[in-house]
Amino acid sequence: MAAPRIGNVLCRISNCNFTSVLLEKINNSRSWTCLQQIRHRQAFPPAAWYVKQKTTDLDENLTKENEEFLDDVMKDVYKKRLDRVFSPLEDGPWKRNDYNKYTRRTGVLAIKIGVVPQWTKEGKRFTTTMLQIIDNHVIRYTPPEKFMKSAGWKPWWGNKYGVAVVGALSTNPRIYTKEYNNLFMESGVPPKKKLTRFLITENAAVQPGTPLNVMHYRVGDVVDCSAKTIDHGFQGVVKRWGMKGMPKSHGVTKTHRRMGTTAGGKFKGGIWKGKKMPGLMGNRWRTARGLKIWRVNTKYNVLYVTGQNVPGNTHGFVRVMDTKLPLRKPAPENPPPMPTWYPEDATEPIEEEYFDKDLFQFTEESVKFAAEKK
Amino acid sequence: MAASMSCKNVFLKISSASRRNLKRSYCQSTNLTNAEVRRKRNEIFETEKKRQLGLITRMEKIQVDVKGPPEDCTLIMNKGISTPFNCSMHIQELLVNRSALALVNGEPWDMHRPLKEDCSIEFLHFLDEDPRIVNKAFWRSCCLVLGHVLETALQNQYYVELCSFPKPHLQSGSFVYDADLKLKDWKPTTAELNCLTRVGYKLHHLDFKFERLEVDASVALDMFKDNHFKSQQIPYIAESSGSKVVVYRVGDHVDISSGPCIASTNQIGRFNVTAAHQIDTPDYGKLYRVQGLGLPSQVMMHYWSYDILRRRAGKFNTAPLPRLNMESSPHTDDNTEIST
Repeated sequence: MAAPRIGNVLCRISNCNFTSVLLEKINNSRSWTCLQQIRHRQAFPPAAWYVKQKTTDLDENLTKENEEFLDDVMKDVYKKRLDRVFSPLEDGPWKRNDYNKYTRRTGVLAIKIGVVPQWTKEGKRFTTTMLQIIDNHVIRYTPPEKFMKSAGWKPWWGNKYGVAVVGALSTNPRIYTKEYNNLFMESGVPPKKKLTRFLITENAAVQPGTPLNVMHYRVGDVVDCSAKTIDHGFQGVVKRWGMKGMPKSHGVTKTHRRMGTTAGGKFKGGIWKGKKMPGLMGNRWRTARGLKIWRVNTKYNVLYVTGQNVPGNTHGFVRVMDTKLPLRKPAPENPPPMPTWYPEDATEPIEEEYFDKDLFQFTEESVKFAAEKK
Repeated sequence: MAASMSCKNVFLKISSASRRNLKRSYCQSTNLTNAEVRRKRNEIFETEKKRQLGLITRMEKIQVDVKGPPEDCTLIMNKGISTPFNCSMHIQELLVNRSALALVNGEPWDMHRPLKEDCSIEFLHFLDEDPRIVNKAFWRSCCLVLGHVLETALQNQYYVELCSFPKPHLQSGSFVYDADLKLKDWKPTTAELNCLTRVGYKLHHLDFKFERLEVDASVALDMFKDNHFKSQQIPYIAESSGSKVVVYRVGDHVDISSGPCIASTNQIGRFNVTAAHQIDTPDYGKLYRVQGLGLPSQVMMHYWSYDILRRRAGKFNTAPLPRLNMESSPHTDDNTEIST
């Protein structure tokens, strides 16, 4: 069973208890995920599409029975909507198109769980990052013509791309404002904690309300993971730019971790723009490209991707997309599920774990090496 | 021609029993409108109020013991003029704003009703330990506001006659006013209900006091002579309470109600007209049961939770239909009911 159904327990590795309206008992506390503290260099006015998310703290003073009743009503409302098969709109399921080399499918919103080692069949050890695709649904799809007129469009995209807004982690609507809750009316899903958008080509249009899970990717696929890097705050030049600093002793006075010279003398005209200096380090969007998926766990919706350098903290949100590297894209005879995976695509029963063919599984016999001749 | 037609339609709707009590008038009667009737009622109320105030020739003092937060204190107030509201003004602004009712010697008492003798007062608000009395008063006040909405909202050619409202019962999910709207098979759309809601919600900002007045049955009959439902009910009401009828005024809307009402419309935080169902009564003929939902300003609720209540308030309220006989007179109200 690929998609986690109502009642299944979520991944509890590293003691992080994620709760979702659909998946477990409601937890009304506001601090669920360990998101990075957002510290901006400058305060910008909000974007044109910005909608105030949280309500002010309402002292509702409801009795315990009333709270439980409201939770039951919420589960009832959303369970009814999502039990319907992929047609929250009256016009029914959308057409599924074929994959070609120009297709950009929607990505998913995952949480970086942690880093674990894996072994190849030759016995080589390498690290992988686990990314859990957590309660994703497509919230909205905007076709290219409409997207071109909206606030978030950049001219160099032309009319190639539409937008799919994907949300992660269903939450209690009672902590959000009416404007924010109304964003989810079209798709019929509970309001999500985190929203992101993906640029997609028209042939990869996904219907709002479609759940996205780990079967959207296959073992052996290559993905790009982008996230906000770990926020180190205001850092000096040695940590931030890797400068050498000065010796700790031998007469050095008051200059151990400083920059030293700033400019190149009067001929170079002073300090050049972009000079490496102390400042805020981290908390920037970075993308790790070309990460191969070695292993897929369908029970908990976890991807194991190469490397331990997926940006961000543990339990930070990560945008996972099909890679843009041209030599790593899937072969035309092996296209990925378009626009995403649906349960009716399953030709055989879905296993709990899928492994890459080069990955060593510990249920197999141990790797044997021939003894070296002396 | 049009005037006589409307008069004729009015008379066609009433039952045969009540027809005996009414004088028939044809083209001479002016085209009754709610605005005109409201103005007349207001005038009578105003003159009666002034007259009752004029009866007090001497300023006598009474001792009022105020209990409760912030502290117990004793006030010397004017007999027959000072109200619990005036007492709260002497103490704290918090009490002035949040107090909806007062308990005078244990009896529920309107905030703007004059005190008659030495007494002890306690102020009640909506976030009390046991707010049952205040809740019932709130429901009752919302019924009055609903009556105001019905008399004001419709166009001039529809002369609305309010009939009565049942005892406040919060568990039913909505407050109710039964009225003759002179409309045929009207099923209000969401937009129309929203318009009615807005008329009622405006009162929150206008901050009208619920003014109570005890009038003689004859004065009451004079006030409500243009409403044939109320004209029939007044004799029965007066009978049970010694030829006195209690009348409330909100802004310029005057209506009959027995029990205490809240202090002012500012304390109505949320007000919604949720439905209008058609009912058929044996005594009064075909009426509309207009239902609404409200929340006090003190009570905070997220819109999502309130919407659940609002949807429920749209369902037909099974409160008893308006009857004319004394036992189930809708305006008598048992405030000592233990049931919540």
